[in-house]
Amino acid sequence: MITGTGVTKTYRQRGSILGARQVPALRGVDFAVPRGGAVSFIGESGCGKTTLGRIIAGLETYDDGDIVIDGTSMSGLGHRARQPFFRRVQLIHQDPYSALNPTRTIHQTLSAPLALRARQTGRSRSWTDERAEELLSLVGIDPGYVLPRYPHQLSGGMRQRVVIARALTMDPDVLVADEAVSMIDVSLRLGILSLLKDLRVRLGVGVLFITHDIATARYIGDDSELYVIYRGQVVERGPTETIIAEPVHPYTQSLLSAIPVLHGLERPGEEQVVPTEALDEGRADEGCLFARRCPFVTERCEHEMPVLGRGGGEVQRHACFHPQPRSVIPVGAGQ
Amino acid sequence: MTSTTHAPGVRIRDLTVVYRTPAGELPAVRGVDLELVPGTITGVVGESGSGKSTLALSLLNAVQPPGRIAAGAVEIDGLGDVLTLGGEDLRRTRGRQVGYVFQAAQNSLNPLKTIGKQLLDLGRSHDVADPRALVRDAKVLLARMGLDGGRVLDSYQHELSGGMRQRVGIMLALVLNAKVVVLDEPTTALDMITQATILRIIREVHEERELTTLVITHDVGAIAEVADGLAVMYGGRIVEHGPVRKVLATPRHPYTQGLIRAIPRLSGDISLARALPGRPPTLGTLPAQGCVFRERCERRLAVCDTDDPVVITRNGRSVACHAVERAAAVAMRKEYA
Repeated sequence: MITGTGVTKTYRQRGSILGARQVPALRGVDFAVPRGGAVSFIGESGCGKTTLGRIIAGLETYDDGDIVIDGTSMSGLGHRARQPFFRRVQLIHQDPYSALNPTRTIHQTLSAPLALRARQTGRSRSWTDERAEELLSLVGIDPGYVLPRYPHQLSGGMRQRVVIARALTMDPDVLVADEAVSMIDVSLRLGILSLLKDLRVRLGVGVLFITHDIATARYIGDDSELYVIYRGQVVERGPTETIIAEPVHPYTQSLLSAIPVLHGLERPGEEQVVPTEALDEGRADEGCLFARRCPFVTERCEHEMPVLGRGGGEVQRHACFHPQPRSVIPVGAGQ
Repeated sequence: MTSTTHAPGVRIRDLTVVYRTPAGELPAVRGVDLELVPGTITGVVGESGSGKSTLALSLLNAVQPPGRIAAGAVEIDGLGDVLTLGGEDLRRTRGRQVGYVFQAAQNSLNPLKTIGKQLLDLGRSHDVADPRALVRDAKVLLARMGLDGGRVLDSYQHELSGGMRQRVGIMLALVLNAKVVVLDEPTTALDMITQATILRIIREVHEERELTTLVITHDVGAIAEVADGLAVMYGGRIVEHGPVRKVLATPRHPYTQGLIRAIPRLSGDISLARALPGRPPTLGTLPAQGCVFRERCERRLAVCDTDDPVVITRNGRSVACHAVERAAAVAMRKEYA
């Protein structure tokens, strides 16, 4: 179980005339990835979703808030002491082409982390070969075919499966999949997504799924939770199916409205929302972060910042003063 | 030149493009026939290795070695067969008659020059007599796409967002009044909201300027939003072609059916969606004879191993599949019986 409370990260840009410019990447994000659970973060590029993934994987530090892994707070620990905890979180990159060392066979790629694992758990060296085959079978590829080969001899889908197998060598509690299918051929995407779903069930590994393609978030499990993040702030969260079917935040509605309609199979939702302006990250932060682009903006939104509810009881699942469910997603043409 | 009122038609006939490899010359595009109806948007959808980008480059006769156009013709109204053009004639055609919009993610803009400088370079290389008019046209186009023309022309590419760069690409392709436009993966690597904006712009500009447009992409959704016609490519062949709504509603080729079933959707029963088994072929794994899709096909027949299915066109829809043909023949016999 990994939880984050108020995770905050600000990048400082140097070299500006006015000194360091502060770019907030995350503004107090709360989240929880339960054991074997699935959580998706969706948003536009620059919204902070990749930063969050890197922080959870221990590749980036955070400025404020806390991350708790299996009951241990990371904030109280030094860099070295954190490492064994963050090793339980493994990151799967977007690009399976650059994630694997081109000069090493898949056998070599998997052997190195497995040798480390064997030392940690007191197993013999011979275990690593067995385990490599086991892991490759688990991710749905033929070990006999793949092990002696180099990455360039494999297709994109196969490479991504190898990357997943490599992540599993560390027996992680959580896999962070950052746009893990966006470079995979369309006909193979669902295969990778259902593999992630499978791993949740078979290994009890949690999945933190980061994507800009909301539809893919439905396929990592029907119990998954969806977080919509905008300019570093979570603006809406809840069960994936609920958020997609009944979004209440205008930003979520804009994202869902933008998804292409498969004309002939679907017709557009009746209340589609189009932002009034393009994304402009440089603007001042007073009021609601989405106010300037929001078609439903009111006086209050300009001056006051709505936040997601915290604490016990009924938790407010959106950060909006005027939440209103709208039917924005495409509907099947037959319905 | 600007008084042209009708968009030109484009006819690709029996096009074959081969790439030289250690295993000999292998076809990336093989025997492709495709007609771009004047004034329409045709979408070509295909996965990696389907030959769709090679097909797009052929429209400019711009296939680079080790690739070579081995056979076929690309006829554009008013230009003749582009594949017979060379040297100066070919250079003039590119940009003037055929505009090409490259993928935004690939840096197709010069990072060292402002957009305005690159625009003037373009004008100079095409002997534009009046650079001021060119800049004026560019600003009009940029404004049409919702950008501040003056600001954009003074900017370097790194000062522009992906969506803005994509619009600059469209401007550069259209500013010399090209009437045939090829867009290669116009929305890949763009955010959802930006993608929707770009797709709307493509559709509107296409209609206003009376263009004949070809959109190449791996994203069926993007095609569904903008295109009139949809051609599905697999293994260097066009396996299905028809009006986009009809192809999506009732796909006929087993590959098209599998592809549509594999698209993650926002509504509907997710358990009905599934990945296509197997994987797309590469140049090296393409079968030398027979149907290119048979390895992944659930309707494979004995004849698929030996004979390449021919494209059969009926009621404006084309399919290249033995199984579909056999079923159609049986249905027809029943009808006449």
